Amino acid sequence: MKHWMHQAGMRLVVLVFLSLLGGLLSATLVRFAPGYGVDERELDPRLSRASVDSIRDTNRLPSGLFSYYGRFLAGAVNGDFGNSRWLERPISSLIRERFPVTFRSVLLGTLAAWAAALAGSLVVAFLPGFAFEISGTVLSSTLIAFPTAVVAMFAVYLGAPVFAAIAVVIFPKLFRYLRNLFAHASAQPYVLAAQARGTGQARILSHHVVPNIAPALFALLGVSLSMGFGAAIPIEALCDSPGIGQLAWQAALNRDLPLIMTVTLLVTVITVGANSLSDLADRGAR
Amino acid sequence: MKPSKIARMVSAGFLCTIFLAGLFAGGVTRYSYATQFRELPNSAPSTAHFLGTDGLGRDLFARVLYGTRISLLLAPAAALLSTLIAGVFGALAGLVGGWCEKVILASADLCMALPLLFVLLALRALLPLDIDPAVSVVATFVLLGLLGWPSSLRVVWAASRNMRRSDFVLLANATGCPRWRILLRHVLPNLRAVTFAQFWISIPIYVLSEATLSMLGLGVMEPLPSWGNLLRGLEDFSVVSANPWRMCPLVVLVLVVISFQLVLPRQEEIA
Repeated sequence: MKHWMHQAGMRLVVLVFLSLLGGLLSATLVRFAPGYGVDERELDPRLSRASVDSIRDTNRLPSGLFSYYGRFLAGAVNGDFGNSRWLERPISSLIRERFPVTFRSVLLGTLAAWAAALAGSLVVAFLPGFAFEISGTVLSSTLIAFPTAVVAMFAVYLGAPVFAAIAVVIFPKLFRYLRNLFAHASAQPYVLAAQARGTGQARILSHHVVPNIAPALFALLGVSLSMGFGAAIPIEALCDSPGIGQLAWQAALNRDLPLIMTVTLLVTVITVGANSLSDLADRGAR
Repeated sequence: MKPSKIARMVSAGFLCTIFLAGLFAGGVTRYSYATQFRELPNSAPSTAHFLGTDGLGRDLFARVLYGTRISLLLAPAAALLSTLIAGVFGALAGLVGGWCEKVILASADLCMALPLLFVLLALRALLPLDIDPAVSVVATFVLLGLLGWPSSLRVVWAASRNMRRSDFVLLANATGCPRWRILLRHVLPNLRAVTFAQFWISIPIYVLSEATLSMLGLGVMEPLPSWGNLLRGLEDFSVVSANPWRMCPLVVLVLVVISFQLVLPRQEEIA
């Protein structure tokens, strides 16, 4: 237990360090992006010199990177990530509105992909036959060859929900990995010995295969969430789903760097957090 | 002959044909990718236009060929860039060990923690949307190459770390061979198979990433064709259902990616 607590503490430190470093990278990009601190109203010839100066005073920002980052961090601690230039609204309220939509889609999509990939890989591993093997390979090879945006477009054509498109994107990668994992585990001598003793397939799976591949399964759980968030951008953008993926895409098109950086940072913290949790769950289970 | 070997040969043949057709697009088609036949928008396939024309009256066959040239020449270039970064730093981390290994692996972990598509969008957003099409092509593939190295680095590092304890490296160390020479003459040549596999795996990943970025309007800019921006023509379902040949770029893309998967030697063969 003490060792587990130590590991959890270390993971938390790594998470905080990665967040701070990711934040610094984000701040660097925003600070040195062309047009930083410039208001397009300054180009309006109808405004007097005094009005332009007043606009410049309003937009006057800390010139140094670290003072900019310090101000960003101080705001972030209080839940204030600044304002979106494009939507002219607080970024925190935009994320509060849109994050649950994406989280629900990614969670459902990941669960659906896991269910399909587990079922498929178990069938291929434990019901040997050329037909299962070849159909699994053909299906996963074909699905993996479609760009995520094309999957999203087919989802629009078919009227399928966003989570189904996310599941279709994640499924082939999960299926391939799980199939190899189960195939490798079921060829181990202790599994062959159990089969020779007449142990049932269900018992072999639950007592001999799953416990030995559990660490890889937990690691894959974290990675699949990361894949889900990556797939959310094109899918939400093309399926017109009001989540943070669509927000990131629109922010990129409108060059709203503070918004896109905050969203990227948030997704990074979530994926690193999910990986850390899956790792800790694995250690706890062991 | 084994079915897997036949599939590999067919895939290699298909890839070579597509690659050569893209490379010599000017000789295969008489039209430029930007020439407009304004009186023939969305026309059906004919002897003059093998795959018909798009909504702006441009020959779709010519655009697919020139798009193939861009996607199939620059994706390997991006893969080469990322494999070079992964190869040099992975080999260095595995060979030297200590703080150097820790710093390189921590950097790779940090980059792997960042979701690739979000970072690509953020970096692409730094550039103006109306940049020159040629610059957009280079920017897209350079960004892909610069961001895609961490997973390859982990693989190269693992192989190189195993090599650190190998007899020939111990012998070279014992004879006073400098580290840079061990890296260049002993480690890197022995990592050739692993780095080649990583290079080959990366190509379809970059082809697919470019397609997604271009479909979102943040990749290769019009009028230059790439497989990604040709797929943007599929967004209008009514046009696609009335002109099914507009699916041709998607079919080519899917077949090329599948071929790359089939051509790659299996893991046990690499080992």
